[in-house]
Amino acid sequence: MIYFDNAATSLLKPQAVYKASMNAMKTMASPGRGAHEPAMRAAKELFDCRIAAAELFDVDDPENIVFTMNATHGLNIAIKSMVHKGSNVLVSGFEHNSVVRPLYAAEANVIVVGRELFNKQKVIDEFKENIKRADFAVCTHVSNAFGFILPIYEVAEICRENSVPLIVDASQSAGILDVNMKELGAEFIAMPGHKGLYGPQGTGILIAGNGAKPLMEGGSGSDSASKFMPEYLPDRLEAGTHNVCGIAGLRAGIEFVKHRGTKNIFEHEKKLSNIMVSNLKDSEYELFTGEPQGGVVSLRHKKYEPETIAETLAKAGICVRSGLHCAPLAHESAGTIESGTVRFSFSPFNTPQQVRYCCQQLRKIV
Amino acid sequence: MNHYLIMCRSLTYAQRSKRLLEHFGLSSSIVKAPQCLTPAGCGYALSIYKFLDQAVLVLKNNGMLRGKVYKQNGDGDYEEMPV
Repeated sequence: MIYFDNAATSLLKPQAVYKASMNAMKTMASPGRGAHEPAMRAAKELFDCRIAAAELFDVDDPENIVFTMNATHGLNIAIKSMVHKGSNVLVSGFEHNSVVRPLYAAEANVIVVGRELFNKQKVIDEFKENIKRADFAVCTHVSNAFGFILPIYEVAEICRENSVPLIVDASQSAGILDVNMKELGAEFIAMPGHKGLYGPQGTGILIAGNGAKPLMEGGSGSDSASKFMPEYLPDRLEAGTHNVCGIAGLRAGIEFVKHRGTKNIFEHEKKLSNIMVSNLKDSEYELFTGEPQGGVVSLRHKKYEPETIAETLAKAGICVRSGLHCAPLAHESAGTIESGTVRFSFSPFNTPQQVRYCCQQLRKIV
Repeated sequence: MNHYLIMCRSLTYAQRSKRLLEHFGLSSSIVKAPQCLTPAGCGYALSIYKFLDQAVLVLKNNGMLRGKVYKQNGDGDYEEMPV
């Protein structure tokens, strides 16, 4: 099997991730619920993961590292901590439904800017032009559908200069690009644990500011006599028993990223993208490429539906994703909303040989 | 040997405090705080047997001393310590 659907979930993980999750399942209980050894072992695992994440994302205080179920969960906490009916919210033209849907559900006034694919300057210019209208902004670091790397540090600077809080969706960049909380100065950064951090599904991290509001209430193992959630992080946002097995795997994944280095990971994925693009540039496929682009390539064919292409590849043992990738806004921006695309997303566990084989199969289809 | 408890607002806070003390070579362990010391219910504390003064100083100097400090008397009762 060749797995090129890493933008959805990185199926292939470092061995240490499987071991850590299994070990946690066998030896760890509920953190923060008891002082016995299995509970304290679990508590230590969580804390060590917070420390590892704080180091990777340059966060001073591990209490600001909040465990979530996924990036969608984190984005919902972040957005719902800030949004009101009629709020003016500036977003890029490449946001995922995990941003768009909570905003529309809250009846926010969504202002979409920077819709030209691979036009970094336009994103900067249009954020600048519209920032004074915004109550807050949400911007993805990398488009999940096209791999377009948005100028998130420039957007963050514009927001800071205008005192507009920023929520960063680091779903496709955490573990692959430099995501630095201190340099971004964002209000929130949300990310999944199960993509570029190689944790199991059901894990995520929200780097949260102190103004965060709980999405759920319940037991926190602290201030239990109170009828309300604690005021302090991370307890305020972590009601209920943690996904200890997942978080143990996530920590092993983060350690893998730290050891290999985001720069090396990015360069490997970028190399695979380049191989695919150069291999198919004279083919009948319409490729969506440009700069800056990461390890995600989308394509379509004027005759064959993306689903047909993805199904044919699946029969050849190649796993890719077709359709709108839960990002209709991005496809509207790119002019592919009617057709969707076939997306190829790479990881450090993919090889140039796999990409070349995939290109051969793609050529066979047409 | 004297036994002291440094109250912490949460488990994560206790873990941060313990890590900080370890950095300065000071030993502590995390325990569930006795209910009589936690009016808000369920809390955690750092349990310390030696070098309380140094531990308090390190926590203070790093802006991490936010809870009260107690000494456990021979009869099992707790006495608040001035810090």
